[in-house]
Amino acid sequence: MADSSRRADTVTLTIDGHEVNVPKGTSLLHAAETLGIEVPHYCYHPGLSAPAQCRICLVEVEGAPKLQPSCVTMAQDGQVVHTESPSAKRMRQGVLEFYLVNHPLDCPICDMSGECKLQDYVFDEGREQGRAREPKRVFGRDDFGGDVLYYGDRCVMCTRCVRFMDEVAQDARLTVVERGDRAVIDTFFESGLDDASFAGNIVDICPVGALVSKDFLHKARAWDLDHTPSICPNCSQGCNIDLHARDNLVQRLKPRENQEVNGHWMCDYGRANYEWINRAGRIESPGVGRGAKRRAADWQTALGSLLDRLRVSEGAGVRIVGSPFASNEALGTLHRLSRAVGTVTESVFRCRRAEDEDPLPGFPLLVRQRDLAPNVDGAGILGFERAGSDDATGGLGAAASHDGILFVLGDQLDDQPGDFGADASLYVYLGTFDSPAARNADFVLPVTTFTEEDGTFVNAQGRVQRFEQGLQAPGSARPVWLVLGALLAALEGGNPPGSAADAFAALASEYAAFAGLSHDAIGTTGAVLEPAHA
Amino acid sequence: MSDVPFRNPGWAGNTGEFDLSEADVRGNAYAGERPLDGGHPSTSASYPFMLVARNPGAPLFEGPYQARFEKIRGRYPTARAALLPALNLAQEIRGHVSPETMDEVAALLGLSSAYVRGVATFYTMYNKRPVGRFLIQVCTNISCNLCGADEVLAAFLRHTDTELGDTSTDGNFTVVEAECLAACGFPTCVQINERYFEDVAAGDVPDILRRLTDELKGD
Repeated sequence: MADSSRRADTVTLTIDGHEVNVPKGTSLLHAAETLGIEVPHYCYHPGLSAPAQCRICLVEVEGAPKLQPSCVTMAQDGQVVHTESPSAKRMRQGVLEFYLVNHPLDCPICDMSGECKLQDYVFDEGREQGRAREPKRVFGRDDFGGDVLYYGDRCVMCTRCVRFMDEVAQDARLTVVERGDRAVIDTFFESGLDDASFAGNIVDICPVGALVSKDFLHKARAWDLDHTPSICPNCSQGCNIDLHARDNLVQRLKPRENQEVNGHWMCDYGRANYEWINRAGRIESPGVGRGAKRRAADWQTALGSLLDRLRVSEGAGVRIVGSPFASNEALGTLHRLSRAVGTVTESVFRCRRAEDEDPLPGFPLLVRQRDLAPNVDGAGILGFERAGSDDATGGLGAAASHDGILFVLGDQLDDQPGDFGADASLYVYLGTFDSPAARNADFVLPVTTFTEEDGTFVNAQGRVQRFEQGLQAPGSARPVWLVLGALLAALEGGNPPGSAADAFAALASEYAAFAGLSHDAIGTTGAVLEPAHA
Repeated sequence: MSDVPFRNPGWAGNTGEFDLSEADVRGNAYAGERPLDGGHPSTSASYPFMLVARNPGAPLFEGPYQARFEKIRGRYPTARAALLPALNLAQEIRGHVSPETMDEVAALLGLSSAYVRGVATFYTMYNKRPVGRFLIQVCTNISCNLCGADEVLAAFLRHTDTELGDTSTDGNFTVVEAECLAACGFPTCVQINERYFEDVAAGDVPDILRRLTDELKGD
């Protein structure tokens, strides 16, 4: 202790008998966290200011006349803190009893049940029986507009939502109306949250079931959801998210903390656009042959005959239509294969663009970008150029009438005519849904979406970020890197990639932008590319 | 007791005495109708319940009220701090703080409307609905309650023929419950606009109402 006090930047204190050394200015709550001790808290949120009003994070500090709120009490040298002392526990039990005085205890029908802090804390430390005998006051529910529904009876008045709208969205539309047991969260009368573009975050930060998502309302129980770390696919910001899935369907998207990309937040546009992932009617098995001659085939047959066609067409001109929704592994492997079988004359992608950006004022790093796809920058690094207009149509004239080899990956060609690719000597369509413009394809190969494979995207900051497989692919759909990697290995020799990490390693050895990187090095928070490449 | 008669400007005497009229109380620098310029800056619009204009459609902060609003704003380092007296002034002009009033005050102070609503609803002394010519606040806190405040309240409601918080059909009376009025030595205490009526029993209520009605005739 004497040693550390000489160093100006850290302090050493004792929490529950464990000595811990933390930087100066660390709150007791965070200091306890570094020891793995969770101090209960409602009003404190790392992305917001700390008003110390919920009174449940009070801890005993030796020498202090009364319990101290650990979220705003800064760690000091020599402090001795007890989070589990009789007085701290008694206090928490008392605070929890007050929280339950008017709480409806409707956990069986509450969406928050299973991830609710009130439920957790009461289960851990609450009284077995409440002592309040008075009838509970009842508010019912209030539709805030947007995706947000408010149940006033469940609210613990932590005001996280009020502070989020004030400090982070910087659009102070929420407030505490009335006081005492009549207090509720509300907007200015009927003004609502309809046109607020980041309001969905208040549902995430609500520690109880007071603010719930209308989209998710009564859809799934929290404990039935599988959580998979992923990347939001709805713009090139690449917010870190968790896919919450049940029955192989995405039920909701939740932001995952990454202070260098999205903080704790994500936008409502990204959050709401996940239904396309669950769309039924996918291509489930490979198809071989053009038009009416199309026959379903197994992978071995399809790839065998595709390999024969590729072997004889070496040296042909190759045009590629890629997609900014495809992973680096997919786009890169496709480009490598194209170069192995011919001369790439054109490689393009089309991307829908919004009219403007939508930044989050209180966390300016987070911007809903104009490009409404996750891997525009990755496609650029891998040699693809933007084509078509801002609504992702047009721009494929040369590809449509190309007479060499034509690869289409992930672009559904919705706006293209039925004779797309009719003149191509070989037309390979790798996609998730069949399309009229795929009629002339010699091979239709079912591939996976980003939810059904591992891989990486490059976001608008030039940051490579990993996503993981959260869903099972339908039928025999396979990742692009697996399918094309096998072909490439057959053409060029060597081992086919056994994983997305292998496929990425092959890119890293070929593309200077990815040099030295690997899935392991990218990790969970991503790796920034050298500015020259990004 | 000294021989100098105690003239608390807010005190109307025991209910039997009635030696102070509304007019006596009004015009006082500390309680009652203010000079239009608001008087000394330190107290300008510092107290609510200065129900003067009672014109819900009156423009906010125009003419002399504009000067008072600016005086208030200049008294505080931040707009947020000036909110309470600004709302007091708005209530003095309009008689109550309506949603439109909250919105206007918010715009004038550069605060969010929602925040102003939060503040206005936190404090019970802002009338969120129009009130009658006389706002009758019956203390029902402990001392008064032990001495029959419930009966007094019931008598006011019965004799004015209103529900709690509603305004009588002639627009004269609004009866509300109040928490402690700090006159625990003289229960039941009733505050009617700026005047305190003390030692009120249920039987005094008709007299009080008759007297208030008579005062209106004199206006």
